[in-house]
Amino acid sequence: MPGKVFRAAVIGLGRMGSTFDDEITRGGQFFMPYCHGPTYVASPHTDLVAGADPHAEQGEIFADRWGLERGQIYADYREMLEAERPDFVSLCTTARHRAAIMIDAINAGVKAIWAEKPFTLSLAEADEVLELGTRKGVAIAVNCSRRYNVFFNQARRMVDEGELGEILQITAYTQCNLSHNGSHAIDAMRYLVGGDVEWVFGEMESDEKAAGEEDLMGNGYLAFDNGARGFIRGTHTGAAPWEFDLIGTEGRVRNLAQGMETQYYRWVPGGLRNQGLPARAPFPLPTHIPSSGLSVIEDLVDCIETGRQPRCSGQDGRKALEIAIAMRESHRQGGRRVDLPLADRSLRILSSEILSDAVPARVRRMQSK
Amino acid sequence: MPARTYRAAVIGLGRMGSTFDDEIRQGGQFFMPYCHAPTYVAAPQTELVAGADPHAEQGAIFAERWGLEERQIYADYREMLEAERPDFVSMCTTARLRASIMIDAINAGVKAIWAEKPFTLSLDEADEVIELAARKGVAIAVNCSRRYNVFFTEARRMVDEGELGEILQITAYTRCTLSANGSHAIDTMRYLAGGDVEWVFGEMESDEKAAGDEDLMGNGYMAFDNGVRGFLRGTPTGAAQWEFDLIGTEGRVRSLAQGMETQYYRWVPGGPRGRNLPARAPFPLPTTIPSMGPAVIEDLVQCIDTGAPPRCSDQDGRKALEIAIAMRESHRQGGCRIDLPLPDRSLRLLSSETANDSVPARIRRLSGQ
Repeated sequence: MPGKVFRAAVIGLGRMGSTFDDEITRGGQFFMPYCHGPTYVASPHTDLVAGADPHAEQGEIFADRWGLERGQIYADYREMLEAERPDFVSLCTTARHRAAIMIDAINAGVKAIWAEKPFTLSLAEADEVLELGTRKGVAIAVNCSRRYNVFFNQARRMVDEGELGEILQITAYTQCNLSHNGSHAIDAMRYLVGGDVEWVFGEMESDEKAAGEEDLMGNGYLAFDNGARGFIRGTHTGAAPWEFDLIGTEGRVRNLAQGMETQYYRWVPGGLRNQGLPARAPFPLPTHIPSSGLSVIEDLVDCIETGRQPRCSGQDGRKALEIAIAMRESHRQGGRRVDLPLADRSLRILSSEILSDAVPARVRRMQSK
Repeated sequence: MPARTYRAAVIGLGRMGSTFDDEIRQGGQFFMPYCHAPTYVAAPQTELVAGADPHAEQGAIFAERWGLEERQIYADYREMLEAERPDFVSMCTTARLRASIMIDAINAGVKAIWAEKPFTLSLDEADEVIELAARKGVAIAVNCSRRYNVFFTEARRMVDEGELGEILQITAYTRCTLSANGSHAIDTMRYLAGGDVEWVFGEMESDEKAAGDEDLMGNGYMAFDNGVRGFLRGTPTGAAQWEFDLIGTEGRVRSLAQGMETQYYRWVPGGPRGRNLPARAPFPLPTTIPSMGPAVIEDLVQCIDTGAPPRCSDQDGRKALEIAIAMRESHRQGGCRIDLPLPDRSLRLLSSETANDSVPARIRRLSGQ
């Protein structure tokens, strides 16, 4: 049993804070519990002690679902931070307010933040949060969930232990807006490659979209510092929905159909001119399949105790945003290679999830009925 | 039976002219006969009447293997053209001499040319050959062989008949120098995408290689005029050897492991959120599997009869070269988008097969060099 139980609170009591797991009826991309409320309830390390949301309907549903008293639900998250003094806080609001709330939470003395993606809208916001978080010793994990998915963890273990040889290529077919679900796609590419992006080329869905700040689809070519190269197709992917293809000199891992299947290939003797054949072998599963959400908590508890960075850290969240913005810059500059880091920190992408965010999606749905 | 038998001659009596088929023991990428002499012997429309090669050893092996008399072998191809007046002539010499030999053959009055790839070394050479051939009404087929391979022709049929829906993406993992085997890779991408390349981005294997004219490896991103996007990895591909991945809104075709396997995927009901699943279905083979060499001859005979361009025409050969050169130009210009066509027609790629070509490869092997 864990030595200590941490007090956990959720800010933003909508889909990711509370009910996302209801949508998922099959494993592969997620293993439950995954989203914030149910994870804090299930984890042996945490007690769910509070929720905050300015929309009363959200608070009521959250309290009923996760067994909180009305007194544990706050309209103002600042009051909640002050009154409840949580150790863990989850950032599940619209991305528009995420940076400001993270700063308030850090200043209120939380030990760990579990933030939804995208990490922030602008690079300047990300810089400010990371500087403050580092100074105050707060562990920040971004919920780019594939870093807490067993298939991706095993693929990365195979990379680290040399089972795939030298890593050459990562390809992602991931229809997405580049901030919104692009956060996942770009972070998963970085995670699998085990290197960092030095420069990018990008083509956006249109010149008009590229000129603006709204979230947008696009494709990109990524040059990693370890020699690997990445190709991401974030525009429509048709019959290749959410796929990652990791290619090394000795082996290959393909994650297909939104994570529902993972394939492993390695060389066997044979082939057209006896150069060997890449043959499919069983994907090496570990003996235990962890839940995605519980893995995040375990990771953050260890970060609190040791001071190390989470598996998907605030820095990783900033990198995903910076790569997305750099791909857009490449398009804006007429199709040129753009080096990282970006000098202009005011650049931002208005993540598509902030559209119409004055009213939560659930409340909008309830009102339209 | 064909209405007439065409007189066919081979210029360059080495590997592609004569003995390549001996190296292949498994079908998929090739169906025999494939290379030039065995095809002319097997095709009902042609009679092999002569060969030309300045190296006497090559001529002797060729004559013995394909049942020609000593007098049917010429050291000088110009003498052969003059004396034998062939209808078909195959260009199987080093690429260094291909353009000038094609010009001589056209001027000598041949009806059809079957040329090895790359088509030429420079864009100027390609322009000159194409202009002359058009003026003299000579059909030129370039041996980018996948256009004559049943799996690729069926994939293209599926594209043309809408079975894959709107085509979105063509990805090629094809380790190659961009002129030598890159000719195949780039041509196949164009063939499968069913569109033409408007602009490219490229990264070459090194700045030094990109600055020179020698053949080189590289990666590229291609924008097609029908909206398709292409990604080509010509740098080492590890456990993904010679693979093409054609993705449409309704289906997907993957050619794997140097053409030894072709997969077809289409939507079936299901999926984690009821958005359907891409499931593998049997690849739809036609009722006869044509040999590749005879398929070229049939194509060229029809071109002679109708004036239509061959399935892999001289223009296609020039396009593959121009795209490869544009990818290199992109790198030379610091990593930027390059529009086609290229205005500088003096640009060239010294195809890696021209290295050490003063002595044929077989003779180098025989003499232990």
